[in-house]
Amino acid sequence: MTRLWTFLAVLTRFFIELKRYPFNTLSGLITLYLIFLLLFAGARYAQGLGVNLFGESLEGLVVGFLVWTFAIAAYSDLSWELMREAQQGTLEQLYMCPLGFRFVSLSWIAGSFLTSLVMVAALLGLMMVTTGQFLRLPLGTLLPLLLLTLAPVYGIGFIMAGLALVYKRIQAFFQVLQFVFVALVALPADAAWGKALPLSLGTRLLGRAMVDGETLATLPLGDVLALIGTGAFYLLVGIGVFRLFEGIAKDRGLLAHY
Amino acid sequence: MTALIVEELGKDYRTRRGPVRALAGVSFRVEEGEVVGLLGANGAGKTTAIKILCGLLRPTSGRATVFGVSPSRPEVARRVAALLEGSRNVYWRLSVEENLRFFAGLQGVPPREARRRTGELVALFGLEDKRRTTANLLSQGMKQKLALACALVKGTPLLLLDEPTLGLDVETSHELRGFIRELARAHGKTVLLSSHDMGVVEDTCARVVILSRGRVVADDLVPNLLSLFRTQAYRVSLRDGLPERARATLAARLPTLRALEAERALEVELPPEQDVYALMDALREAGVAVDGVSRAEPDLEDVFLRIVQGER
Repeated sequence: MTRLWTFLAVLTRFFIELKRYPFNTLSGLITLYLIFLLLFAGARYAQGLGVNLFGESLEGLVVGFLVWTFAIAAYSDLSWELMREAQQGTLEQLYMCPLGFRFVSLSWIAGSFLTSLVMVAALLGLMMVTTGQFLRLPLGTLLPLLLLTLAPVYGIGFIMAGLALVYKRIQAFFQVLQFVFVALVALPADAAWGKALPLSLGTRLLGRAMVDGETLATLPLGDVLALIGTGAFYLLVGIGVFRLFEGIAKDRGLLAHY
Repeated sequence: MTALIVEELGKDYRTRRGPVRALAGVSFRVEEGEVVGLLGANGAGKTTAIKILCGLLRPTSGRATVFGVSPSRPEVARRVAALLEGSRNVYWRLSVEENLRFFAGLQGVPPREARRRTGELVALFGLEDKRRTTANLLSQGMKQKLALACALVKGTPLLLLDEPTLGLDVETSHELRGFIRELARAHGKTVLLSSHDMGVVEDTCARVVILSRGRVVADDLVPNLLSLFRTQAYRVSLRDGLPERARATLAARLPTLRALEAERALEVELPPEQDVYALMDALREAGVAVDGVSRAEPDLEDVFLRIVQGER
């Protein structure tokens, strides 16, 4: 039960702070929607010129944008939180959790995922109304696919968090990665190497579920297994790298620095 | 049971200018129920030692155990809680109650028990009126009380308090000293407290460990340390100040004499062969009008300074 109480405590604090900063929460949603409107307008203009930027239809744009939105939160939230906690002076207190800081960070990631889910659901509603493209939402297939698609990004998030622990200011990395993620979401992922990259295969499979109505049972087993494999690989590597940086931070006494 | 065992603890930091030794083989013990002060000048290694004991820093050498558990293991947090950066240890956008419940939950305390402890601590620290106020709106003293309450809500047997009264006004500092004394007396806690404020340490701790340049230079009960430096020192209040003609006479007979408070008082340390009568005779013969005489006892600050200066 101890795990449950710790998990609930981290989650409760996460949502209380979200509630205390309503402007930040709301402005995040509005910004994402405005970016989407710009992309949508651009894609329509390109379509008018006979250029198809996002696959067969605008549905590809919607799915890709959703995955990208999730990915941005998934890789940056943990690092931002770490930097914020270090600045506040509370990071060391979190490190003094009997279940270890990794349990705290995983609980925190769960909070971030749930928030993204609510944000993206709201965004998806707005996008579907804007585009007139109504997607299928088989949650039983979408949620596991989404988690597997995002697992490598959480792995990258752990690496970034580790870097933040030691080097503190890593915002420049964030900006570069945002563009890398756009490329990964847009990659076709037909070749084996493409399937081994984060996001690409997952975005395709999510597209097939949301646009074509496929389920986990009808998707190619090889692709689903590849998704599980890459997800586990990147996540474990990410946690391993984080542990390494955590050790450096404890050696050098950097946990309280910011 | 021994709450804390520190054996030959060493810590080197690598810097651009080369390695810096923060701890050079520190050893001490703290028994269950003791309140021990950790004294030292800036850079003596107090915070480094405390952070190693919390598992936040890795030592370069030596070992430590907290109720038998190595600080490198996360489970150590079931035995030790710490106040490390005072009021910065709490979430400023969370209310008093939310902070307390969060830290209880982080420790794995069930919600019902967390509520009970929260109520108890809010009452103990006199924060009833502020239970729903966010920490950023509290005064510095209240923030510090909240930070201490957040460490207490975890229910660990050992508390490490790094500068718990830093930045507090005299009244709040005294109030907090009372709480710290009560921790051991009424709640059976073991406390290791580091502070620059000798008054706080003298007021709350039975024993002190003095660090200087990463080494333990004294580890004894406060009364023993005080008696170590107790001398035949007297303080004399003067009714009309120190007359010009008396100066040379007194200086010849009492070489350790010092004038204080714009020459309205004197302090003198007598050698073992002299007594208070010799002092009184000298004052009378010099024609000095005495208002009062009292024994000047060394305080912990004097003891600390003498020990650390003797080290240098």
